[in-house]
Amino acid sequence: MKLKLLSLAAVLACGLGPVAHAAEGELVIGTEGAYPPFSMADANGNVTGFDADVGNAVCEKLQLKCRFVVQAFDGLIPALNAKRFDVIISGMSITDERQKQIDFSNSYGEFPNQFVVKKESELAGVKDFDTLKKDLSGLRIGVQSGTTHAAYVEKNMPDAQLMTYDTLDQMQIDLSSGRLDTSFADTSAQNDFLAKPEAADFQLVGVVIDSASDATLGKGLGIGIRKDEGELKERINQALCDLGEEGTLKTASEKWFKLDISQKCK
Amino acid sequence: MDWDLLHRAVTTIGKGVGTTLTLASVSLAIGFCLGLGLAVMRVSGNRLMSGFAEYYSAVFRGTPLLVQLFLFYYGLGQFDFVRDNPVLWWVIGGGMHCAIMALALNTAAYTSEILRGGLISIPAGLIEAAKAAGMSRALRFRRIEFPLAIRQALPAYGNEMVLVIKGTSLASTITVLEITGHAKRLMSQTYAIFEIFTIAGIFYLLINAALILAIRRIENRLTSPGR
Amino acid sequence: MEFGLMQLWEGGWAGALLRGASVTILVGVGAMLLGLATGIACGLIKWARVVPLNWLVDIYTTVVRGVPELLIIYLLFFSSVEFVARIGTAFGWAGLAETGYPFLIGIIAIGAISGSYSTEVVRGALAAIPTGHVEAARALGMPKARIFRRIILPQMLRIAAPGVNNVWQATMKDTALISVVGLQELMRTAFVGAGSTRSPFIFYLVAGAVYLAITFVSQSGFKRAERALVLKGRA
Repeated sequence: MKLKLLSLAAVLACGLGPVAHAAEGELVIGTEGAYPPFSMADANGNVTGFDADVGNAVCEKLQLKCRFVVQAFDGLIPALNAKRFDVIISGMSITDERQKQIDFSNSYGEFPNQFVVKKESELAGVKDFDTLKKDLSGLRIGVQSGTTHAAYVEKNMPDAQLMTYDTLDQMQIDLSSGRLDTSFADTSAQNDFLAKPEAADFQLVGVVIDSASDATLGKGLGIGIRKDEGELKERINQALCDLGEEGTLKTASEKWFKLDISQKCK
Repeated sequence: MDWDLLHRAVTTIGKGVGTTLTLASVSLAIGFCLGLGLAVMRVSGNRLMSGFAEYYSAVFRGTPLLVQLFLFYYGLGQFDFVRDNPVLWWVIGGGMHCAIMALALNTAAYTSEILRGGLISIPAGLIEAAKAAGMSRALRFRRIEFPLAIRQALPAYGNEMVLVIKGTSLASTITVLEITGHAKRLMSQTYAIFEIFTIAGIFYLLINAALILAIRRIENRLTSPGR
Repeated sequence: MEFGLMQLWEGGWAGALLRGASVTILVGVGAMLLGLATGIACGLIKWARVVPLNWLVDIYTTVVRGVPELLIIYLLFFSSVEFVARIGTAFGWAGLAETGYPFLIGIIAIGAISGSYSTEVVRGALAAIPTGHVEAARALGMPKARIFRRIILPQMLRIAAPGVNNVWQATMKDTALISVVGLQELMRTAFVGAGSTRSPFIFYLVAGAVYLAITFVSQSGFKRAERALVLKGRA
């Protein structure tokens, strides 16, 4: 009932002016702000991290001013479609499921993924994927909701107990307090966790799972764009190509991840 | 109309119904007993007991359930002495047990107010007659006060039961896979927001409707004969 | 044992929590007002039995009271509520529409929930007005508008006051649920602080204390208002 009244008002409001959801010359970027080292936001809303660097570089190329909007990860896609921002830059992988909802730029990076366990866990020394898969059955695996990692575990380890969390922080807190046996995320986020004092007893499991190994993990990181914004997508792809050539992406990647995950244009 | 999606949504979200009902019924059972104890403490003459009951009620009714839930799950889980203690960890370690405990403590506060209202509303004449007849305190409570209080409190308590069912949805924020938890996870995968949340809403409406009908039946049974 | 009190102070979280508390109060008040307006309108419709509107009102209150608040908030937040942004822009709040998006959604969602409970309170209050009063006024030839203004409205307000107090308490606590969709109110601030400093206990304890304070202050406020209403209504 409320929605009906509001939509009526909205239809009337349409006559009062177009939706100027971004000031002229501005690119509004949606990002999570709680996923180090991709996207971190402090209490005042200032965003830093790999995604922020990529975003700022793209804005510069497009000659637009950057403005970041912080938003929970699994709400990014609906919010993009609701025109709350123009693009998504938030460590988001290109997947078939997501491509049903939105478009993506070309991939600008690709990430390996790993499990993290306690040092005394029997999984710690596992070196091959099949043993890992067998050992994981029945264990409590933590993932972030709406991520490719959640989809991957759900598909490949159906007899494990999947625990989803809204934020990385919640997952890591439960891992260190012993509510989880292991967590699965991309290697950079895991390394960021392992650098914290509470992670002293934890380590990476040696089995590296590449995005290429499974469709659920996606085809690399992409900038999310609405389906009807073909022109913007072209410009962004061009900008990414240029940045790749100039080595800007490589510099940013090495700054945050200590390794180069950037991809050149095909 | 995407029948595949609807079918998937109904079966997935339906998996959570059992968990929702378990959460609600166990919390209500524990909460009722606690609430009854608190109500008795409240109407007792003892200053210490009634004061404790009053503060307990004020604290649990004056703060959001979400805050209580997170305080128990994340807050208490932070301390080593809790993690190392097997009994305490059994309670707050797992999402399900922790949610039941938080819900039970919360509903106990509201229940105590409802039952207190019921106990107070008993006409003084009945109590005096029972005393004159020589009934002991315990017998008086069991045969006169308690049944009358329950009958008086039933409509309000039925309301509280519906609120507890709604409260179980908050367990989804601490990894419990009840109705809302399944709905949210499914939504993250398919982004079919409206369909999924509508189906989840229908599940809750059906459960609450059944509950309200049952309460009305009991109300009728209690008030009609013997008037 | 890491109690975290020092972290709370040093990290500047105390200021952030206060800011969060002010957002909580703003959303609570906004939602309550929206809910009251809705409640009075819908309550009147139900009491006067305006068909078919009162069926719509019935559906509204049944659904909103039977479905968890969290679900309603998720639904409103995740669906393409583009028209909220459009309304915001149309009224010249373009900037608010982006930064204030969760804020607006919060007020609308909590307001819709609060409204359903307010509807029941208003309806109950209207039903409790002795019909004799209205009949007598009509027999005296009072115009309808004046009957409403001098007879119905004052009594409704007085009878509804305790119920409105209850709805207010519930509305204030429901605002905590908007934290799950990211609005920087009190609960969300505590949540972020807890995650960032790894001291959830102190943060949620302080948040709880602030909610208690808000409850306590509004309780005494309401008691005073009730007393004023009763004195005035000495007919």
